[in-house]
Amino acid sequence: MSAATAALRRLKLSREVVLLGVLIVLMVVMSLLSPLFLTVGNLLNTSRFFVEVGLMALGMTLIIITGGIDLSVGSNVALVSVAVGFSYAAGLPLPLAILFGLVVGLAAGLFNGLFITLLDLHPLVVTLGTFALFQGLAYGLSKAEAVSDFPPWFAYFGQAYFLNVVPGQLFIFILAVVVVWLILSRTRFGRYVYAIGNNEEAAHFSGVPVRRVKLALYSGIGLLVGMAAVIYTSRVYTARGDSGLGLELDVISAVVLGGASIYGGSGTIGGTVLGVLIIATLRNGLVLAGVPSTWQVFVLGVLLLVAVFLNEFFRRREE
Amino acid sequence: MSEVQTPTPAQSGANGTVLSRWLVRPEAPALVFLAVLLVAFSLSSDEFLSGSNLESILVSVAVLGTIALAVNQVILCGEIDISTGSMMGLCAVAAGAVATSTGGLILPLLTGVAVGALAGAANGLLVTLGRIPSIIVTLGMLYALRGVILLVTGGTWITGIPDGTRVLGTGSVLGIEYPVFVLLILFVVMEMVSRHSTWGRNVFAVGGNRRASRLAGLPIDRVRFLSFVLVGVFVGIASIIYLGRAGSVQTNTGTGLELQVVAAVVIGGTSISGGRGSTLAALTGAVLIGVILNGLILVGVPGIWQDAVLGALILLAVTTDVLRRRLLGDKS
Repeated sequence: MSAATAALRRLKLSREVVLLGVLIVLMVVMSLLSPLFLTVGNLLNTSRFFVEVGLMALGMTLIIITGGIDLSVGSNVALVSVAVGFSYAAGLPLPLAILFGLVVGLAAGLFNGLFITLLDLHPLVVTLGTFALFQGLAYGLSKAEAVSDFPPWFAYFGQAYFLNVVPGQLFIFILAVVVVWLILSRTRFGRYVYAIGNNEEAAHFSGVPVRRVKLALYSGIGLLVGMAAVIYTSRVYTARGDSGLGLELDVISAVVLGGASIYGGSGTIGGTVLGVLIIATLRNGLVLAGVPSTWQVFVLGVLLLVAVFLNEFFRRREE
Repeated sequence: MSEVQTPTPAQSGANGTVLSRWLVRPEAPALVFLAVLLVAFSLSSDEFLSGSNLESILVSVAVLGTIALAVNQVILCGEIDISTGSMMGLCAVAAGAVATSTGGLILPLLTGVAVGALAGAANGLLVTLGRIPSIIVTLGMLYALRGVILLVTGGTWITGIPDGTRVLGTGSVLGIEYPVFVLLILFVVMEMVSRHSTWGRNVFAVGGNRRASRLAGLPIDRVRFLSFVLVGVFVGIASIIYLGRAGSVQTNTGTGLELQVVAAVVIGGTSISGGRGSTLAALTGAVLIGVILNGLILVGVPGIWQDAVLGALILLAVTTDVLRRRLLGDKS
């Protein structure tokens, strides 16, 4: 038993080492493709883009560990962005508008969670429905218009530099990583998350409050989406109904690339952070190399498939 | 129609009335809802119930309905396919390219069907041999295929589809417009396949209880693989209807269609967890979506609310499905 867990630990470590290797190779390739890539300015600038995906990926990791999924995160970004922008345009003071946006994100997540737990529905169906619902609400409420006359200080969330080089939102991300990592690896709640993913029925009969844990997870990712959406809106300085379109692909790809099994039961925060970094490097490198953004979507789609395939392939070999 | 006969109290023996037997059919709530909507819309708008408007609704859901008939089989298997939007775009691009150089109907149709079948086979192989969940496979394919479209077209539109190819979208036979005709033919074919072929019955078995099906010796991988290929074939046929209607192909052709297709199937009454549903459910769902979108426009709701209505409908449909099963005491 202890030998088995030790072997498992080595294996987990080796997966993260492999990911780190992939990241380094990727960086070398990208720096060969573009001389601009391996500059401090560019690397720090890249972090500006991955913080939004990264925040959502943290929540998604826990959800995927329980064997669930949330397809609605991209649409929820749009909904929060519109909530912030248009409540501000309607006369709400900006701090309250931001707070309102966070509440909307949380409420959207709670809505998913209630649907999933009260009706015992698969998260896939519910979030496919809310994917369309949130997107549609964002379009409809914004009347397909944009708000961008924010006061200058709003740019602080997405465009501020610390000591002139380090993007401000990087600190929010690092803080979030530490908090979520502590929750997952050091608390009872974290053990519940793994227990549900390994065997939901067994967890239920062992006294794990399955529904409450799930409700907390889907609400939690809603709050993280809210934060990501505020940063996103501040970065592009515009609130529109199509903000965050397609971001769910980046988020799910990052988590799966980081080694979380789509069938639940395994996954780590460290792996997810590496997954986020790899995707950000890939995106940034492809931009610098002059590859059109539509191609990046193709690369990401294929990457997602390859990552899941390799994950399940190695998992089967372990068994 | 061809739903699995689950032994619910209402069905056991002669004590079930005709009405209660009818109400346990998967498509029953959708049909009732459809009837209510038809009455409501025809009362609030004079144009709604006119023959030409009703036919134009059917024409508008031909592409959606055709694909829904096939995705219905995938969902009955307990899987899902959300790659059909990009797949439709790719089939239309391939068929459109052939059409502009050769004209005629047969060659573009075969091209579209072949490209669709290939994409469907890729989905099926990744799901069965690759053992990757279908939601992830088809999510990845949704984006990857859109990338292929941009690669093939270089971002430009395909225009000037010759009239010979467009006949499936613009012509009519026996007084019925071709898109409606094709949809009805395919519906009858799928109804027969679903009821009378071995594969059709296996689909219900695999979706109802995969473990039991495997132990009973059913080829569960082949059953699922074929259902994904079928989606490709039907998407290919649908792409020719689309070409005929639109007369051109854009790089974003089919975007968002995958959501409408899944919505049509589950709104119609096929259970998203598989094993329970019918061909008529998929058709009813598609018509229902057409009626709702058309009715909303006639009543004066702006088109930007479409997605929200669609999402709310999906949630309403799955909720109805769960509540109805709890009411009928069916725990499966």
